[in-house]
Amino acid sequence: MRDRNRQISRRQLLQMGAAGGLGLAGLGAFPGLLETPEALADSGRISKSLIDAAQKEGAINLIALPPDWADYGEIIRIFQTKYRLGISNANPDGTSAEENQAIQTLKGQDREPDAVDVSGSAAQAGKAAGLYQPYKVSTWNTIPAALKDSQGYYYGDYWGAMSFLSLNHVVKQAPKDWSDLLSPKLRGMVAIDGKPYSAGDGFGAVMAASLANGGSLDNIEPGINFFVKLKKAGNFNPADAYTATILKGATPIAIKWDYLNLAVRDQGAAQGQKITVNIPKHGVYGGPYYQAISAYAPHPNAAKLWMEFLYSDQGQLLWLKGYTHPARYLDLAKRKKIPAKLAKKLPPASAYKNVKFATLAQIAKANAILQEQWDAKMG
Amino acid sequence: MRARRLGFWQVFWLVAGALFFLVPLYGTAEYSLETGPGQYGFKHYLTILQDPAFKASFLYSLKIALATVAIGIVLMVPTVYWVNLRLPRLRKVIDFLAVLPFVVPPVALVVGINRLFTSQPVLILGQPQRVSFWLVSGPQILVMAYVILALPFTYRSLDAGMRAIDLHTLTEAAQSVGASWTRVLLSVILPNIRYAMLSAAFLTITLVMGEYTMSSLLLFNTFAVYVEYTGEAKANPAAALAIISFALTWAAMLGILFLGRGVGRRQGQLTGTR
Amino acid sequence: MANVAPTARPDRSAIVPGRLPAVPAPRRLLGKLSLTWLPVAPFFLYVTIFMLLPSLSIVQGAFSKSTGSGYTLDHVRTLFDPQYRDAFWTSIKLSVATALTGGIFGLFVAYAAVKEGAPRWIRSALITFSGVAANFAGVPLAFAFIATIGTTGVITSFLSSYGIDIYSNGFTLYSFTGLTIVYTYFQLPLMILIISPSIDGLRSQWREAAENLGANTFQYWRMVGLPILWPSLLSAMVLLFGSAFSAYATAYALIGSGSVNLVPIIIGAVMSGNITIDPNLGDALALGMIVIIGFTVAIYALLQRRASRWLR
Repeated sequence: MRDRNRQISRRQLLQMGAAGGLGLAGLGAFPGLLETPEALADSGRISKSLIDAAQKEGAINLIALPPDWADYGEIIRIFQTKYRLGISNANPDGTSAEENQAIQTLKGQDREPDAVDVSGSAAQAGKAAGLYQPYKVSTWNTIPAALKDSQGYYYGDYWGAMSFLSLNHVVKQAPKDWSDLLSPKLRGMVAIDGKPYSAGDGFGAVMAASLANGGSLDNIEPGINFFVKLKKAGNFNPADAYTATILKGATPIAIKWDYLNLAVRDQGAAQGQKITVNIPKHGVYGGPYYQAISAYAPHPNAAKLWMEFLYSDQGQLLWLKGYTHPARYLDLAKRKKIPAKLAKKLPPASAYKNVKFATLAQIAKANAILQEQWDAKMG
Repeated sequence: MRARRLGFWQVFWLVAGALFFLVPLYGTAEYSLETGPGQYGFKHYLTILQDPAFKASFLYSLKIALATVAIGIVLMVPTVYWVNLRLPRLRKVIDFLAVLPFVVPPVALVVGINRLFTSQPVLILGQPQRVSFWLVSGPQILVMAYVILALPFTYRSLDAGMRAIDLHTLTEAAQSVGASWTRVLLSVILPNIRYAMLSAAFLTITLVMGEYTMSSLLLFNTFAVYVEYTGEAKANPAAALAIISFALTWAAMLGILFLGRGVGRRQGQLTGTR
Repeated sequence: MANVAPTARPDRSAIVPGRLPAVPAPRRLLGKLSLTWLPVAPFFLYVTIFMLLPSLSIVQGAFSKSTGSGYTLDHVRTLFDPQYRDAFWTSIKLSVATALTGGIFGLFVAYAAVKEGAPRWIRSALITFSGVAANFAGVPLAFAFIATIGTTGVITSFLSSYGIDIYSNGFTLYSFTGLTIVYTYFQLPLMILIISPSIDGLRSQWREAAENLGANTFQYWRMVGLPILWPSLLSAMVLLFGSAFSAYATAYALIGSGSVNLVPIIIGAVMSGNITIDPNLGDALALGMIVIIGFTVAIYALLQRRASRWLR
């Protein structure tokens, strides 16, 4: 009983969040989200001919998919067993920029990535550089319009919000908001992941900081200035925050996507390390990642099969298991496909109620400012 | 008169050196054995050893290393032999070329290799284009580049080995009983520089197994790339992996020592001298 | 083979021409080229294709116009822009610092081990260990130091149990200082390996003679030891400089996307697409590295010639 109520209320809250953030293309998109025609609410039936063609190709080249990122480890394993395709996963902790670069560098070779999972700005850059080929999965219509390129070059797969992770035995009081990060007790502890102009994870941290400190989706400078302040206070740690550095206590406070931090929390728990993950009170920035198929993919059918799998109910629920909000979350929730247990493991929907998403244009603008200013100001 | 006791400063510096070397290793080992707060065990070592990526990347790098050794030896043994035997004037040139890999660091060399073999064909004719393309489509290009990187060590080892034996007499003796040049090389010279070749091989293998720069920038999943990734993704297993790779390098070094003892001091060449 | 001239046992340090057995006159190919050069041809071909050509391609790229054809000095000029100048300067500073730390520390340790009075096994152990440690770089090394002087490292905890908090003064591993300490871990053994033969050359008879004439340790070093040793010392440190300057894996493992501005890191970021700058500028950066290291190796060669005088 309680679960059902929670589910409904979460769905409503998420719809509100979706309306506020995702309805960027105008409120016209919002009614469309609610009134998905039943006929097109495909649970992801994948055609046999596609499976055959993919299996003939025999393998798929993936890139930059760390096993503990949104449960990719399990997703890859299940895909591999289900369709008996060999999978190579190059450069597991590559940035989105590196993924695009790999498509260019390895053009025409067997090793070239077939599919990429990149941040918004990299997706735009990739399409502009002609790196992708369009493809619309069978469940295309259940992906919110704001999360996909209308021509099908890239499509949002999941989103998360920026969160604070803190290692309990090092940080006595877990930070709940951005101002907490400036406390003198947190010397050298706060880290992000990668350079904001090349890694989506790092970008999100700065944008979220901007939203919380007087900036907006159109103005990322206050975010940069916040990090300058953090650095001056001596709290900023320039090292990249990875699972290993977090658990070792080298970067005990990490500002990363919630699904990443929650995964680290689980890993820590398995080792007896208690970790707290909080969505900040202010500056809740949501960032989707996007899937795309490489224009010169050596295994195009395998790539399409991969996409079909990811956007099927099974694939989307696996991403949910990885603590993300999958792109088809609303559709799944509407059709009551989300197991209650899974829904419970995510942070409460109230934490996300003010989530903001940037349009791709806003992301591009912010990226340009970061390229100019970040290195200069952060040294 | 000769047997003097260890001076104070001697002991001081030796202990300081030992501490500096050993404490970080101790720290890593301690962290690698920590399975929980206050508990210790080998769980993380098992995690690494059972990881399919560990075996895959290790074997991948080992194959590349062996190919590098093979090409390096086939390339260098005749060259060093001939220079020592007939072309002493070339020694300066080859010495210079053997130092060049230090001047062009891997991080710079890979820029040149990438642009030369991917975007620009080596020659404008049809066939060589395909060759250059084939070179970069797999780890072949790494092997080629690693032979260059290992050149200083291979050259020095083999050169020292050849200089330590009496090349001229051996060659003359063999030729006086009618051996051809290849015969001389294979049956007479090679067995006498066995130790130098093994030393060169070991140095090359250690170099290749640990090379990260070129393999990561050319997007190959070698052992060093795997180590780097583990270091970022998993904390305790990364420490276990560090200890494992340290132990493996140790084993290689001890291998050289052990073989060296068997062959004799004349060809003593523990490391690539500079 | 007719007319084999009996040869004396050749001097190990030089091959004396003219003692070679008579061979049929080599055929002349293309005028100057003779068949004697054939066996070494593969080596030269290989080095040309895989080392010289890539290097030339870097040089060409560094001076080429980005769009269209023709040459320009623009890219090289950009190297003197603040952020690249700063990167080169930081790289140079780091390399000099670790050449000094590794060099001086290494000299003392090597001398302590090689000098007589030290049991024979210490020297072997030190050389062997140095051989291993000199190759210990990249992520394992970075991690070893995180586990030692990181925020929860063994030394950090050890010191804080005595009330000393090294982090309270703003020390961090991810800084110039931190990098210097970590680099020293492979610079030190490198120095030991390079300088040990030269210390061997410092004959103990000289020390005894000096002491017989009444010199104390300080005077010995000032008038005998250092004058003999300094070319080897300096050339070793030059090599250490080159080793630190080219280091990529360790720097990347420790500072990742670049909290310390170093040239190899920038080049790596350009190649992997994390920084979008003109690729010709990337070539210019690589060229800058080659020029600087080339310069140091030239100094090394000069010093080696001086040093070898004493090692006969």
